[in-house]
Amino acid sequence: MRSTAALNEPGPVGIDEQLAAARAGESSAIGALVVAYQRTVYSLALRMLGARDLAEDLTQDVFMLLSENLHRIESKEHLALWLRKVTAHRAIDRLRRRSRFAMTPLDEEAQMFSTVDDGDPLFQRQLQLVLSELTPPARAVLLLRYQEDLDPAQIAQTLDMPVNTVKSHLKRSLEYMRRAFVGAAENRPQGNSS
Amino acid sequence: MSENLESKLQDALRPVAPSDEFSRALLKRVTATRHSPAHLERAGRPWPRAAAWWVAAPFAASVLIAFGVQHHLQAERERALGMQARHQVIEALHVTSQKLDLAYQAVRTQSSAFVEADTGV
Repeated sequence: MRSTAALNEPGPVGIDEQLAAARAGESSAIGALVVAYQRTVYSLALRMLGARDLAEDLTQDVFMLLSENLHRIESKEHLALWLRKVTAHRAIDRLRRRSRFAMTPLDEEAQMFSTVDDGDPLFQRQLQLVLSELTPPARAVLLLRYQEDLDPAQIAQTLDMPVNTVKSHLKRSLEYMRRAFVGAAENRPQGNSS
Repeated sequence: MSENLESKLQDALRPVAPSDEFSRALLKRVTATRHSPAHLERAGRPWPRAAAWWVAAPFAASVLIAFGVQHHLQAERERALGMQARHQVIEALHVTSQKLDLAYQAVRTQSSAFVEADTGV
């Protein structure tokens, strides 16, 4: 399996040193940490919240919080866990607060999905719809599994939920997606089907 | 189908980068805040809540101990006063009893003298 987490973060050499320097107050070091992890945090925020402005706002909050809590971060692994945990929990909180007032449709303009390898646009559109229909915790589980390449135990640790709940969310979400994608394929015009 | 779906999900959900404009603004904001006076003041005191706890806990404990000692001394004083009052009451009863005895004896002596005078003994 491709390791997105590995692609996402710089190699093991450097981050621990940058972390130590950032804790000592070196602004270039905290800048390096922001550069190293902004894709992870922003992508998670964007796909959780479904709108670019909300994702940028959350990304900024997360890194501001990180700069205040650097003394608590012990290692590179702890930093990655902390960033994912704070982003996911805050996104879930914001979605829950928002759902009390009104549902906001996912941002059509936002570049939510990777354009590498010339991805299937229909699949991406369908995925965007399915993601918006999942509950916030189920959405977080799915993103941590397939965006961040975490296993169920790591997801459970990140979201503070039992491993069995993570597995159950994953199973239900995949089943729901299969049904949605099969339905979409059946409705696809003949000329577009491959 | 399952592996295909999972593989398609991984491809579609590769992390995307935020806009350059946002990245620059974020870097500027985070590094600027890192050097703000409030932040430096906080950084100089990394455990303010813990430090406050270590100051407050002994203070609260000494206040409690002082209150307990004072309460104990007050109780002792009240007990001593009670004992003193009790002794005074017993003393007063004792004196009263003696006086009554004397009065009784005097009355008895006088009444014996009257009886003897009446009978002509």
